[in-house]
Amino acid sequence: MTRLRLVLWVMVALAAVGALSLVLQSRSPTVRETALGTIGGPFTLTGSDGKPFNSATLNGRPAAIFFGFTHCPDVCPTTLARLVKLRRQLGKGDDALSIVFISVDPERDGPAEVGSYAELFDAPVVGLTGSPADIEKVKKQFGVYSAKAPLPGGNYSVDHTATVFLLDSNGAFVATLSPQEGDTVALDKLRRIAA
Amino acid sequence: MIRQLLLPALLVLAACGQQGSPDIELHNAWARPTVGQAPAAVYVTIDNKSGSDDRLTGAFSDHAAMAMVHQNEFIDGVSKMRMAGEINIPAGETIEMTPGGTHVMLEGLRAPLKPGDRFDLVLRFKESGDKTVKVTVMKPEGQ
Repeated sequence: MTRLRLVLWVMVALAAVGALSLVLQSRSPTVRETALGTIGGPFTLTGSDGKPFNSATLNGRPAAIFFGFTHCPDVCPTTLARLVKLRRQLGKGDDALSIVFISVDPERDGPAEVGSYAELFDAPVVGLTGSPADIEKVKKQFGVYSAKAPLPGGNYSVDHTATVFLLDSNGAFVATLSPQEGDTVALDKLRRIAA
Repeated sequence: MIRQLLLPALLVLAACGQQGSPDIELHNAWARPTVGQAPAAVYVTIDNKSGSDDRLTGAFSDHAAMAMVHQNEFIDGVSKMRMAGEINIPAGETIEMTPGGTHVMLEGLRAPLKPGDRFDLVLRFKESGDKTVKVTVMKPEGQ
């Protein structure tokens, strides 16, 4: 009788361990995806000179990375102009922060297009593009969404994540800037990484 | 005698109606510079000084192949730009188009916009008809 009870308890314990491991298994992938350490990572794209651009080039100073497209008349120039303004407000010169623009529209944006777009802001901005496969890969690394949205007249706009990703001087992801948060909060975040 | 006076008076009234009894004024129209084939966004402040509502129904410019009123939305961090449809301009109110919200998109520009450029933009209102405003191209930082 005692022995039967023991066997039953062992079975209960085994069942519990099994259930627990199932729960942990099903949870762990989502936990991993949202962990800070997994956003970003090394990438190679194409610079405005048409040559490969390795993300290690950005190391040594913090960087603000924005994904957009050159046919974007409103949110993209607004965000890049805001980053240029915030960098100026930091008061440590253009070397204090790299501002990086990555195209999510590689079909229309070649090296020349991202290069001349990046020059619109009267301050150093790094313009990057790549093959559609390269762009997909880097989008995945940063958890960036983009999709074409047709416009009347046959052209298209691109819906895209408008969050700015802040990297420290080792290229590690540290924080985001939202288009909707105030400049005071944004400047505090930049001060912390550009210290 | 009365009829002689009445007719011109009625004509004046009719003319007022056509040119819009809602009194719309456009101010502070600006855009950022552009490069290549990229479209531009124009931001305008619309002031309805009358006692009745009006609606913005369209936009035109000789400087571009197409002008469209667009609205941007941020949904879960994603920016989406769409045609705005008609925009209500309530009586006595001022609507200011700002970056990241509403703008007039100019597609197929005659030439890329450079700081200091000025060109005409026409906004069409349901009650007030067409109103023209001079757009100034600002430095990239905008306003």
